[in-house]
Amino acid sequence: MIFPHLFRLELRLLARERAAWVLFALFAAALAYGTWNGARLAQRQREIATVLRQDSEQFQTQLREVLGKQSVDPKAIAGRGTTAVLPPAPLPLLATGQSDLSPGHETVVLWKLAAPADTRSELENPSHLMAGRFDLAFVLVWLFPLFLLALLYDLMAGDREAGTLRLALAQGITPWRWMARRALARALPMLALAALATLAAGLLDGAGGAGTRLALALAVILAYGLFWVALALAVNAVARSATNAATALGAAWVLLVLVAPTLLNVTVETLYPTPSRPELVAAGRKASGEAEKRGGELLNSFYRDHPELAPPDQQADFAAQHLTVQSEVGRAVEPVREKFDAQLARQQTAVARWRFLSPAIATHEALTDLAGTGYWRHRVFREQVGGLRQAVSEFFTPRIHKREPITLGDFDQLPRFEFREEPTGVWMSRVVSSLAGMLVLAGALSAWTWRSVRPARLGLLSA
Amino acid sequence: MILAIARKEFLDAWRDGRFRIAAVVVVVLLGVALLLAWQQVQRTRAEHAAAATLERENWLNQGEKNSHSAAHYGVYVFKPVPPLAIFDRGLEPFVGTTVYLEAHRQNQAAFLPAQDATAMRRFGELTAATGLQLLTPLLVVLLTFGALAGERERGTLRQVLSLGVRPRDLVLGKALGLGLVLAALLLPVALFSAVALAQLPGGDAGGSWVRLAWLGGAYALYLAAILAVCLAVSAVASTARAALATLLVCWAANAVLAPRLGGDLAQRVLPTPKLAEFEAAMHKAVQEGLDGHSPRQQQLQEFAQETLKKHGKTRLEELPFNFNGLVMLESERLAGKVFDHHFGRLWDRLESQDRLVTWAGLAAPLLGLRSASMALAGTDFTQHRHFSVAAEQHRRDFVRVLNEDLMNSTAGGHHGGVADRSLWEKLPAFRYDPPTTAHALRAATPGLMVLFLWAAGAWTALLLVAPRLKPN
Repeated sequence: MIFPHLFRLELRLLARERAAWVLFALFAAALAYGTWNGARLAQRQREIATVLRQDSEQFQTQLREVLGKQSVDPKAIAGRGTTAVLPPAPLPLLATGQSDLSPGHETVVLWKLAAPADTRSELENPSHLMAGRFDLAFVLVWLFPLFLLALLYDLMAGDREAGTLRLALAQGITPWRWMARRALARALPMLALAALATLAAGLLDGAGGAGTRLALALAVILAYGLFWVALALAVNAVARSATNAATALGAAWVLLVLVAPTLLNVTVETLYPTPSRPELVAAGRKASGEAEKRGGELLNSFYRDHPELAPPDQQADFAAQHLTVQSEVGRAVEPVREKFDAQLARQQTAVARWRFLSPAIATHEALTDLAGTGYWRHRVFREQVGGLRQAVSEFFTPRIHKREPITLGDFDQLPRFEFREEPTGVWMSRVVSSLAGMLVLAGALSAWTWRSVRPARLGLLSA
Repeated sequence: MILAIARKEFLDAWRDGRFRIAAVVVVVLLGVALLLAWQQVQRTRAEHAAAATLERENWLNQGEKNSHSAAHYGVYVFKPVPPLAIFDRGLEPFVGTTVYLEAHRQNQAAFLPAQDATAMRRFGELTAATGLQLLTPLLVVLLTFGALAGERERGTLRQVLSLGVRPRDLVLGKALGLGLVLAALLLPVALFSAVALAQLPGGDAGGSWVRLAWLGGAYALYLAAILAVCLAVSAVASTARAALATLLVCWAANAVLAPRLGGDLAQRVLPTPKLAEFEAAMHKAVQEGLDGHSPRQQQLQEFAQETLKKHGKTRLEELPFNFNGLVMLESERLAGKVFDHHFGRLWDRLESQDRLVTWAGLAAPLLGLRSASMALAGTDFTQHRHFSVAAEQHRRDFVRVLNEDLMNSTAGGHHGGVADRSLWEKLPAFRYDPPTTAHALRAATPGLMVLFLWAAGAWTALLLVAPRLKPN
């Protein structure tokens, strides 16, 4: 560093500003609260997942014992259902993401395969879902830039206004170097706090192998911080007064953090309208009504829904017929459902493409991806639950049709859910491209600032 | 004097290029939000109407089947979108749109639009309401931060006061002038909202105009309170820069922090149960009675004995009707009591959480406004609950008609025979009457009170600060 003394001087000046210490304290408090809040939510979700997993393990043990003694009617096992649980996210404290909205578990029951998907999530107050969470991602994406800008809005504009700029530059440094050194020195404590909180969140609650994710999260946060530093530099290059600079940076924050994401949301929903759930539901019902009518009289009887009450010698027939109708419904609804899913994927792909519109969007997407609470991991979960539905149907249907009991030999083949994480390369490419995009943006802004504050441009040489 | 000052402030603001750009951006955003929401409401309504028609056909054309089987086939009902959702979508994306009505159980409304949306939804939604709630206060800050502090800094405040202008008149004149600027900006938005509402088919249903007028009043109170706070800060701040910093911190606390902290507070003080616990408790109460000591089987056996005694018979087969139907009626009645109790408690809890957050609005006026605005637009939780209750009532009516058919038109001892379209037609389609304006006003009252207190408090503070205006 050519002017290390300047860097040190700025740090020392910063340490003397009372307001700066207040800002550090507030930011640290917000980070701590966000982490703590995220930890509580993660704990709640882990408890729910644990109870579900224990239930299903207990059932497996009992079933194994029973099967050791005798064979069991497949209908009895199929009726209990197979529960799919999304394992706790690898870095849950980093971001709540979609985990409070998208259900993290689903029980697949053979008899209800054709029913509309179960989308019940936890009992959250809808107003809280609307307001969003005070988690680490919120502090990092929303508040971090505000705190940075509060320290950085006056890098040069104030000196220009007061006429002290020439004096400051008289020590023989270019305006760019002077400004950049000051900016880095002033941003350093905030960047360090943000990085520390992220590290802490990862160390407090990180699944095995979360190291790469944590390293990338640190990189994303630093890149996001650097973008705002670069923006503060660029605004200072042109602003004529500190107040002007503050107003311009405030407006930039509002546009990039508040307005851009909502505009992107509105645009995506206008370009690719969310398909109608009610229509999907009604279409499925139409198919099932038609299939039932073809299903024969036997099926239109009371016992269709209460096979347990049917005369023992007829139960199997009802079950078999029910499955026949169900698979017909499944086939009829499949194309509608596929179109529905494809449209949802198109929406999110559009968001991914346009995330560079605002680094806030890119950072939010990257952090939720790294936390394992983002859109894509939940989508992968839903797709794998789809796979489980198929496995359940393929395992039980032929056995029920053939009236074949389940024996101990079948135990290992019983459908079970094992979540396979999205391949590392896939999420990493999303995160790395976000990261690269932000670095390019920060670089471009800096290059522009560098050109704009050359002494000749500033008019410092002419007078 | 006040008017002259007001006129000067008004002209000054219009001539400020920075403000003009910001104002145009905000007004355009509000307009776009209204237009898109208007389209969205119409699209959603068309979708729901199409689905409801199809669903009714499904029901009528289900063919001949056992009436209890039909009760299991069930009916789906769809939540209508209130007209003022074009202004404030409120909770609509975060509550279910569809309720499945079936025998034996009360289901919650399912399919939250936000679950089918991209993660961007979590950044908040661009509606006319959110624009007015979050962005216009920033315009007010921009307008006012230098109004008094700036003049003090430049030394013009000393000059003006030396002319003998009373400080109170100066402050009131500025308030009036800047208030008029805001009014001039927002009047087109109000007009545009009214036109959009008028152009919406069925837009005037459910007292929409009265609600819109109250909405106008609520937002006026909010902005009036913010204007007074901003001027008061500008009156006491030593420099314009200090005033700007203070006001931006207040804005961020109100707009960004308060909604999240309010939610956290409510969940902490009045927690909601976990879904699994809630369902297990309800299931248990259905099986064992609300008091936990009257098992269902036992209750139904006692019911059978009583019925026999009432009709003077000794065997169920001798009854003049199918006892299986009557037993289902009775067990639906018993289960209904359990559902009312458990869902009632859950919904009461959610409503008291919302009330707590609304009163937390005494610290951050946005919380009061948000609650009043959603209530008046018909998109708050109380109105979602109203729909859920109506849907459940429809379920009970529909299951009752089917069970009565089972009881009266089939032979005893059977689980019933086959019914046909004539029975299906007896069940009317679901018709929902949204809550009245009086309901909306009741729900909006706490929020409106919070706003009123804020406006009154802020103006009192401004009037107290004004006479003590220091020239430097």
